[in-house]
Amino acid sequence: MDAYLAAIAIIALIYMLLSLGLTLQYGLTGLINFGHVGFFAIGAYTSALLSLQGVPLALSIPAAAVTAGIAAWPIGLISLRLRDDYFAIVTLGFSETVRLVITSEKWLTNGVQGIPGIPRLFESISVGIGAQLAVMGVLLVVTLAAIYAMRRIVASPFGRVIEAIRDNEEALQALGKDPARFKIQVLILGSALAGIAGAFYAHYITYIVPDQFIPLVTFYVWMAIIIGGVGRVSGAVVGTGLLMLFLEGSRFLRDIVPGVSEVEMASLRIGVVGLLLVLFTIYRPQGLMGDFTKR
Amino acid sequence: MKTTRREFLGSVAAGAALIAAPAIVRAQGADVIRIGALCPITGAGGPYGSGMQKMIIAAAEAVNAAGGAAGRKIEIVAEDTQTNPQAAVLAAKKLIEVNKVQAILGTWSSGVSLAVIPLTNDAGIPLMHCSGAPALSVPPANAKGLGFRFQATNERFGRAFAEICEKEGFKRPATMAFNNASGIGNTEGFAKAWKAKGGEVVESVVYEPNQASYRSELMKVLAANPDVIVTGSYIADTTIILREWFQTGQPVKWIIPGWAANPQLVEALGNEVVEGIISVDSVSNEGSEAFKVYDEAYQKAMGQPGTNNVYAAMTWDMMTLLALAIEAAGTADIPAVVAKLRDVDHADGKKVSTFAEGKEALKAGKINYEGASSSLDLDEYGDVTPDFGAYFIEGGKFNRRYIVKI
Repeated sequence: MDAYLAAIAIIALIYMLLSLGLTLQYGLTGLINFGHVGFFAIGAYTSALLSLQGVPLALSIPAAAVTAGIAAWPIGLISLRLRDDYFAIVTLGFSETVRLVITSEKWLTNGVQGIPGIPRLFESISVGIGAQLAVMGVLLVVTLAAIYAMRRIVASPFGRVIEAIRDNEEALQALGKDPARFKIQVLILGSALAGIAGAFYAHYITYIVPDQFIPLVTFYVWMAIIIGGVGRVSGAVVGTGLLMLFLEGSRFLRDIVPGVSEVEMASLRIGVVGLLLVLFTIYRPQGLMGDFTKR
Repeated sequence: MKTTRREFLGSVAAGAALIAAPAIVRAQGADVIRIGALCPITGAGGPYGSGMQKMIIAAAEAVNAAGGAAGRKIEIVAEDTQTNPQAAVLAAKKLIEVNKVQAILGTWSSGVSLAVIPLTNDAGIPLMHCSGAPALSVPPANAKGLGFRFQATNERFGRAFAEICEKEGFKRPATMAFNNASGIGNTEGFAKAWKAKGGEVVESVVYEPNQASYRSELMKVLAANPDVIVTGSYIADTTIILREWFQTGQPVKWIIPGWAANPQLVEALGNEVVEGIISVDSVSNEGSEAFKVYDEAYQKAMGQPGTNNVYAAMTWDMMTLLALAIEAAGTADIPAVVAKLRDVDHADGKKVSTFAEGKEALKAGKINYEGASSSLDLDEYGDVTPDFGAYFIEGGKFNRRYIVKI
């Protein structure tokens, strides 16, 4: 049981890093990024490939963040010209492009066969609860650091500028600020977080294949921040926690309530998530931890 | 309509009983052997997963009806892989840690099996799967010899294709593959075996899933003027490709794996289009006694003929073989059971087709479980070694002309 809970916690923490990145991009700056999974994939493949070449994980994970951040640069340039829904379409296209490139460049990524045998974190500790807790500990530290950094950003002048970009870009320009630079920085920062999440994911699951990096991952992250509260750091944390609790908890529901087959449960699970999203949009658009000081 | 208090209380009591019931059931089954069924209920494997899971349950029921294995009943705990390695890892962790299963059966896609097998290895329990990836046979994935494959590897399929090509006297084969590990595995296995025979592949195309048309890919292949096209494909894309090919009118033969060239394909396209297509499948022992029993169970559970789902026949065999091994070992102690897995499938044993039959025969001596999916015969890597049938579609019927042994 302990190891199972640890596994859920690890996956939840990885998703938490992803939602923190998206909170920075959408929640604070208003950039509708539907391609988050692309950066997640870049991070996962970067760290996996480097570590298989013998690069220690202490270097390959930061490298994943850097690569994902650099990959966000061109998207940032595009974001200067496209607003709102157009940007959303481009980012969605970007993540699919990443997946297709990974699928096609077999010499590097082994294509659809995937990369097996990616080294684990703490390989020296024999597998079992010890290694799991160690991984969880590292992830917890990274996530807490990210949360701390996010809170500092929100409180800083930088944070006020990006929130102003979200609320009224023209007004900001009239005040003599250049939104472009800030948008690019935000995209790079958020994507770097996604890259770190990808690296941890690769080293935890130990096997990656393009099928894992489908847009559904992006939309899980979106669900989490919508439920938790867009634009709030605490919202990203609470939303991810709740989503994971629900997705995993529904397994046990079936053990308790007989007569629900796994097929029905799978549909039910997605149905309930959909219903929750609808209800949240109608009755609590700010999410659980939303900002109630505005409007 | 008004609900009276009595009715309301009644439904509350019924609900409470519903929730409390499994606790009672569990209390009775303290001495059960728990087995995990980890099938792809949703995702790409969805069309097969539900049948696979139901056949594990049905086979377990057959075991229990025969008095259980080694005197203990089997209890199945089912989870969904969602055909997604991450979901599968969490599901497998839950099965291992919370439900304490003694084996995990029924993973389907290679990606899922490769992600789950490190966990089952750590737990020291067997993983029985229907994945095609060759990497699953050897270390590191199968370092402990606890992985058992009930499906022919894609490489073997490819070799069978090459044998048939040679036998039919084709000279200019081209390949078309669905872009996933299994599709490419088939055509690459074919190309390797074909080149080893000194042949040449005139064109090979890999196509992306879920397209409305494959005309451009098809034109590229047909432009090379092949005499036969070998595919690694699934039914949805095969239907579109064949329809578009028929419209071109260019004469060419097709060799297609059996899970794509099946009666549903004939139904979708009509006899004329599919005439002469060679469908290659691991001989799923369709004449065997075990297949009849499986087919009956499948009809009952799914309302369709058992031939519709080759993977369900494999999961049926997984459960039956595992139960026979437990019976032979006389204990559910996993290392002892794993050691017996090949024994109950021994070439010189008495042929048996069901668990009940095997249980009886085990009292007398060695047995050989002849499965519904194939004759099994697990090799040193834990892979089954099926023979392949070359089925020619003639007048809408599948005529098996010959069998290819690899």
